[in-house]
Amino acid sequence: MDQTISFKQVTHTYQANTPFSQDALDLVSLTIPAHSFTAIIGHTGSGKSTLVQHINALLKPTSGEIDVYGRTIIPTTTNKNLKELRKHVGMVFQFPEKQLFEESVIKDIMFGPKNYGASEADAEKDAEDAMQLVGLDESLRDKSPFDLSGGQMRRVAIAGVLAMKPEILILDEPTAGLDPRGHKEIMDLAQELHDHRGLTIILVTHQMDDVVDYASDVIVMDRGKIVKHGKPSDIFSDPKWVYQMHLDLPSSAEFATRLVKAGIHLKQTPLTIEKLADEIAELIKWEAHT
Amino acid sequence: MSNFLFGRYLPGNSWVHRMSPQSKLMLCFFFVIVIFFANNVWTYATLSLLLIVVVLMSGVSIGYFLKGIRPLIWLIIFTVLLQILFSSGGHVYWHFGPFSVSDLSLINGGFIFVRFLLIIMISTVLTLTTTPLAIADGVQTVLKPLKKFHFPVDTLALMLSIALRFVPTLMDEMETILNAQRSRGVDFGSGSLRHRIQAAVPLLVPLFTGAINHAENLSTAMEARGFTDSEHRSKYRVYKWQTKDTISWGVFLLVGILVLFLRNN
Amino acid sequence: MKDIIQIKNITFNYPDQPLLFDQLSIDVHEGEWTALIGQNGSGKSTLARLIDGLIVLKSGQIVVDGLIVNDDNIFDIRNKIGIVFQNPEDQFVGATVEDDVAFGLENRQMPREEMHKVVESSLKEVGMWEFRDRIPANLSGGQKQRVAIAGIVALSPKIIILDEATSMLDPRGRQEILDLVTKIKQENNLTVISITHDIDEAATADRVIVVNKGTIVEEDKPDNIFGDIRKLESIGLSAPFTSQLIMALEKRGIDSSSQYLNDKRLIAWIKQLVSNK
Ligand SMILES: Nc1ncnc2c1ncn2[C@@H]1O[C@H](COP(=O)(O)OP(=O)(O)OP(=O)(O)O)[C@@H](O)[C@H]1O
Ligand SMILES: Nc1ncnc2c1ncn2[C@@H]1O[C@H](COP(=O)(O)OP(=O)(O)OP(=O)(O)O)[C@@H](O)[C@H]1O
Ligand SMILES: [Mg+2]
Ligand SMILES: [Mg+2]
Repeated sequence: MDQTISFKQVTHTYQANTPFSQDALDLVSLTIPAHSFTAIIGHTGSGKSTLVQHINALLKPTSGEIDVYGRTIIPTTTNKNLKELRKHVGMVFQFPEKQLFEESVIKDIMFGPKNYGASEADAEKDAEDAMQLVGLDESLRDKSPFDLSGGQMRRVAIAGVLAMKPEILILDEPTAGLDPRGHKEIMDLAQELHDHRGLTIILVTHQMDDVVDYASDVIVMDRGKIVKHGKPSDIFSDPKWVYQMHLDLPSSAEFATRLVKAGIHLKQTPLTIEKLADEIAELIKWEAHT
Repeated sequence: MSNFLFGRYLPGNSWVHRMSPQSKLMLCFFFVIVIFFANNVWTYATLSLLLIVVVLMSGVSIGYFLKGIRPLIWLIIFTVLLQILFSSGGHVYWHFGPFSVSDLSLINGGFIFVRFLLIIMISTVLTLTTTPLAIADGVQTVLKPLKKFHFPVDTLALMLSIALRFVPTLMDEMETILNAQRSRGVDFGSGSLRHRIQAAVPLLVPLFTGAINHAENLSTAMEARGFTDSEHRSKYRVYKWQTKDTISWGVFLLVGILVLFLRNN
Repeated sequence: MKDIIQIKNITFNYPDQPLLFDQLSIDVHEGEWTALIGQNGSGKSTLARLIDGLIVLKSGQIVVDGLIVNDDNIFDIRNKIGIVFQNPEDQFVGATVEDDVAFGLENRQMPREEMHKVVESSLKEVGMWEFRDRIPANLSGGQKQRVAIAGIVALSPKIIILDEATSMLDPRGRQEILDLVTKIKQENNLTVISITHDIDEAATADRVIVVNKGTIVEEDKPDNIFGDIRKLESIGLSAPFTSQLIMALEKRGIDSSSQYLNDKRLIAWIKQLVSNK
């Protein structure tokens, strides 16, 4: 079985063939290898959510073809017989309230496992484990998912997907609305699933710090096209271009450029806080020796 | 589901979009009344032709339009079949117990089908080209004279606009839940009919609770933005009576007269 | 400085839920940018809804610009406050982007010519004018947030409450919106309450209020709040970037007498270290 996700000349037009059509993807071709941790970034409306929804066939291409671990999705693919594909591809939507539908938190998280044939007891166990993984308090178990705070809803949505134990995990801005601890927990969890359980992670995000801290590959989108696909260091090497793309440098790089402006010269632009601290420390100590 | 057009508003700038809501609303009533005067092939053909012109002038292709009301067409066919089976008279082709099919009932069935279709299509054109708030305004203006008789015009208008909003809201909610469940492995539309119905039942509860939730949040948002009632507001869009409206009325009146002339007396 | 919002001994719970706020009191100063931070579920959005009178207190009192929040004053109060809600999905009322921004203005009975000008300028300010004919539901996440913000900016309220209103914007877009609100704030003596999980954004506020599980843990200038990182971390929050860098430097043997420095002061300090030694 081919272990990659690939897009071949994929175009997506919303409300195609109507006077209200909207082009969202424009001849996108790309390959995401299995077990990679890929971040997708780009300005609002550049097509990130549209792109990832093709991977579990919630959206079908208007033209072109998508291959997910050997399964092909083409414009005429129907919603039938996609159960197997969707078991492999877990998807956390951009808006958690679009993902929740059951009457209680626990039932919502159990839905996936039960649907794939787990017994009531097993599903409940999976759901409880997932609740713990995402840091949901036991007391919220029987509450309606719609009577939760924004961040709590987000955690329920993530737990519902994790409970299905997917091989590919798509996270569409999963930390929007999470408090800093929750943010770190969820990102660390994604890293753990990637490093130790071999999941393929696809992360849509506006947080440049997460991109450098967690991702191995980065895709930059602009107006429905892929404009760059590379390592974080390639992507952030040209600040002017980064700003043009409506993005930012990671905080450390941003801070480093301000140091440079203040007349403190660093050898290279550090992407993470540890690298930045190394550079500054070296500078101070080196200066101290002379 | 998002292709379902009945009750939905599509932004645009067509001839029909730019007409005044009041006059559209009245034209709709007028058209429905005229439909009930139609009683032969010629009259129905005239009205259908007029409707096709109206749809085209709203900027939507006929194919897209028909696809958009397909679920309703099934409903009409079902109603018409009952009608055919239960009506009597004329030359009977087939009968069984209380059911019978005759030439008269077939012809009548055909006419009823067209009649329903025309009514649904004209009202879809109305909602497609007029925002719910504008429709409510239209109703309010049209019914204003009734206020003298203590008829609750404002309440009716508000209820109507909420009801109109509700159809597409329910449809969108349906789509959202379908997607949420699909992404967690529910396979709608495969397996036996029984299996499919079984898969659809768990949708109903979340559909209604979801819709109620959204309605609640929406009314909170409206309140937070200072909404009190539909009367104490200024209007962003005003629709004055324009030449377009006069022309449209001219055409509709002519067609009305033509129908009276062509019908079997 | 005048307290534009006074929250006095309020008690509140959702139906069939335990008390969320018990005798909570806090003030918001006029003309200030106040950041409201705290863990998920600590009651930030609920507080915003209470201030706008969208849900009802059990006991206690909230005073907004001299008016007690109750049924008689509710419309005057809502005229003063603009809230951008956490979830943009449910706040669209108008059939198109343009109609949606106009909705609040119509309720305030603004004359039509003026309304058209305001709608246009607000949509232009958030960069969504080209999208004016679109159905709000068919926009991307960030585009929805921009429209929601335009709808509030158009009203030019005295108080703006942003409930994680920029959480789905690209980095530049977020900065643009914050700059826009800052500009309006300066021009009109606007009071801003920004509910946010972005600690670096909170660090730029005039004042920070930290809530945890329905109680106010702290309220002070950012300098004082971010002096004690451990306390913040113990309630699910994190340190601003500068504090993280200082900690990383400490690990490398560079001592900073561990006080909070904002970015300008941190740069000055590093500069001093580099040139002094
Ligand atoms: N249901 C829809 N109907 C019509 N157009 C849509 C729909 N959903 C999205 N679009 C349009 O398609 C384009 C891409 O949208 P998409 O949601 O993929 O963007 P995104 O990159 O995820 O943005 P964000 O960062 O704001 O979430 C946008 O211009 C948007 O307006
Ligand atoms: N409609 C509701 N019905 C019942 N309980 C609710 C409701 N809304 C919120 N809650 C509960 O009240 C508490 C506070 O919620 P609130 O939304 O104010 O938190 P928040 O500080 O805004 O959190 P977040 O950062 O996650 O948005 C939470 O525990 C939540 O579960
Ligand atoms: Mg998106
Ligand atoms: Mg909240």
